[in-house]
Amino acid sequence: MANLSLRNITKKYPGGVLAVSDFNLEIADKEFIILVGPSGCGKSTTLRMIAGLEEISGGELYIGDKLVNDVAPKDRDIAMVFQNYALYPHMTVYDNMAFGLKLRKTPKDEIKRRVEEAARILDITHLLQRKPAALSGGQRQRVALGRAIVREPKVFLLDEPLSNLDAKLRAQMRTEISKLHLRLGTTFVYVTHDQTEAMTMGTRIVVMKDGLIQQVDTPQHLYELPCNEFVASFIGSPQMNFIDAKLLQEDGVFYAEFGSEDTKTRAGVKYKIKLPASKNHKDCLVPYIDKEIIFGIRPEHVHDEEELIAKFPDGIIEANVEVTELMGAEKYLYTVCEGQNINGRVAPTSKARAGDVIKIALDPNKVHIFDKQTELTVTN
Amino acid sequence: MSNRLFQGIIHQMKDAIDRTVGVIDENYTVIACSELGRIGEAHELMVSGSTSSTDVFVRGQYTYKPFGTPQHPEYTLFVEGNDPQASKYAAILSISLSNIKFYYDEKYDRSNFIKNIILDNILPGDIYLKARELRFNSDVSRTVLLIRVVSNNDVSVYDVIQNLFPDKSKDFIINISENDIALVKETKGSIDSKDLENLASSISDTLSGEFYTHAIIGIGTTVEGLKDLAKSFKEAQIALEVGKVFDTEKTIVSYDNLGIARLIYQLPTTLCETYLHEVFKRGSIESLDQETLFTIQKFFENNLNVSETSRKLFVHRNTLVYRIEKIKKITGLDLREFDHAIVFKIALMVKKYLKANPVKY
Repeated sequence: MANLSLRNITKKYPGGVLAVSDFNLEIADKEFIILVGPSGCGKSTTLRMIAGLEEISGGELYIGDKLVNDVAPKDRDIAMVFQNYALYPHMTVYDNMAFGLKLRKTPKDEIKRRVEEAARILDITHLLQRKPAALSGGQRQRVALGRAIVREPKVFLLDEPLSNLDAKLRAQMRTEISKLHLRLGTTFVYVTHDQTEAMTMGTRIVVMKDGLIQQVDTPQHLYELPCNEFVASFIGSPQMNFIDAKLLQEDGVFYAEFGSEDTKTRAGVKYKIKLPASKNHKDCLVPYIDKEIIFGIRPEHVHDEEELIAKFPDGIIEANVEVTELMGAEKYLYTVCEGQNINGRVAPTSKARAGDVIKIALDPNKVHIFDKQTELTVTN
Repeated sequence: MSNRLFQGIIHQMKDAIDRTVGVIDENYTVIACSELGRIGEAHELMVSGSTSSTDVFVRGQYTYKPFGTPQHPEYTLFVEGNDPQASKYAAILSISLSNIKFYYDEKYDRSNFIKNIILDNILPGDIYLKARELRFNSDVSRTVLLIRVVSNNDVSVYDVIQNLFPDKSKDFIINISENDIALVKETKGSIDSKDLENLASSISDTLSGEFYTHAIIGIGTTVEGLKDLAKSFKEAQIALEVGKVFDTEKTIVSYDNLGIARLIYQLPTTLCETYLHEVFKRGSIESLDQETLFTIQKFFENNLNVSETSRKLFVHRNTLVYRIEKIKKITGLDLREFDHAIVFKIALMVKKYLKANPVKY
């Protein structure tokens, strides 16, 4: 069994920097879990603590049923792959993969078996006699993975292993690593700052910020039900729109009001987006009546097609189009409405052009409301 | 140089052994041979998966014996024939060639020479003479990286680094102490500190990833010529020492990026204490919580730019402004003003320095 249990894990450096604080996580056997967050959020430090490369300042770490806080890294039965892997330039692929085992005095026959098995899994058997200089970027990456696989560990720890690859190769290797996880049937802990990698690869994602876990959930849930403004902004590309608004209640109906109407000149417009009753689940909106809130909506729920505008009459606003970007299968609209940026992801056939003033509809069913002070989600 | 050495021995052996003998290098090129015409040819040696073995083996009409260091046999001797006699010749000749190479390397040990330079064990005038004797290219740029092993595990870090940088004519790996290894790396003059940091992190990642060994790496500046290598080495040492105080969470510390930390590191502690008392009257810095200190750090990292910092911190701009106002109320310093910001930055660093328990004077 290679389940991991991190209980109240804390990392404080001698200089006083608190890198990870009260980290609690249960990772099941054979799970592919992703730690994601902006740089400096403590994800790599957490991984290095699991590996035993960083001392744990507080808390307990279990691999299987064994407390491993004081167990040496080599005895933890883990293997790591890092971002800046280096291959030994004068050695063949075979020797590169075998080198670590040789230094650990593994018998020759065993080394041969493991290297050939790893090469077969990674589909690099035909490259075993080549030297690193004769390999492509993707092939080198596979050799780096192979060096970890030959150790036959219970847990794989991967720290941004794809960061040094170009975009196309990265996308390809993402799939390769997912397949590898299925083939090996071991636990994978993967660190990345790239939310696309996180969303596409993991069975569960841990979103971190400032050394704290923000949310642990499946990719789908993180996207649809973020627990706070940070998670909502970090997951999803282009990111969610956040609009400063005020929550109103009129005749039992909730509205998010924003805009900048000037009472003297009557300039500017105030918009009221009618929120469906379902958003007031368990009266969660009641404490926020007449208070400032953050109103969030994902770009794909901002529409400029006529039929969708007609479909959402409660969410229509007027906005100035600043920039449009045609991505092929979709078009991004960067608009400004009453000083607030609202970006849309619309059909590529959209006729909106920079400089136009257009009507857009915000789908009220897909609105997220956040507390302005705590930044926590009020309703999804 | 090895080619001439080997050729000399093989030439003397030619009459004693009535067979073709020669030496091939790692690229399977004949570098010495009893038949002079074959030198420079590519030898058709069928390589197996275990080329690093030093055992005698037979392929076709030739008997082979790899030799060199046990971890990494750089050369292979070949003797015509596949009979037991050929195996004997190969074994005897390889002993002779290995020994001559060993004595030669020791006498003209380039690595030892570099070691003497970086440790200031050689007179400046002698550097020039010895460099000429050893045919050193003194025009190239070199950088010293100091690798300090923090947590070890049975594996020889020296061997690992040696294998990562196998070109002995360009890169030198020197054992400084039990935990310190210096890497003198030939670099391009135009190399910037980012490239060097990438190089250092590839060393660090390999050591941790493959050998579970945690190492921190100090990087000196890139120097031209040999005599300034001592300077680059000292800078790498300073980078590690200063990094231990100011960048405790970093694995790689570059001398180029130490900034005012290096200056503060050399200040008398009494002066530092006085400065702290003057800046933070009534111990106001103590009342700043962890989150506020983190906000300040990010604000400095983003060049006092409120919008950029709020974006990086994923907080609303107004939230950040509120936090900055709160800091102003507590400390009397407005971080948005450059003069106040620099006072605050230095004070925070001085505090860190004093916390690291330096020798008081």
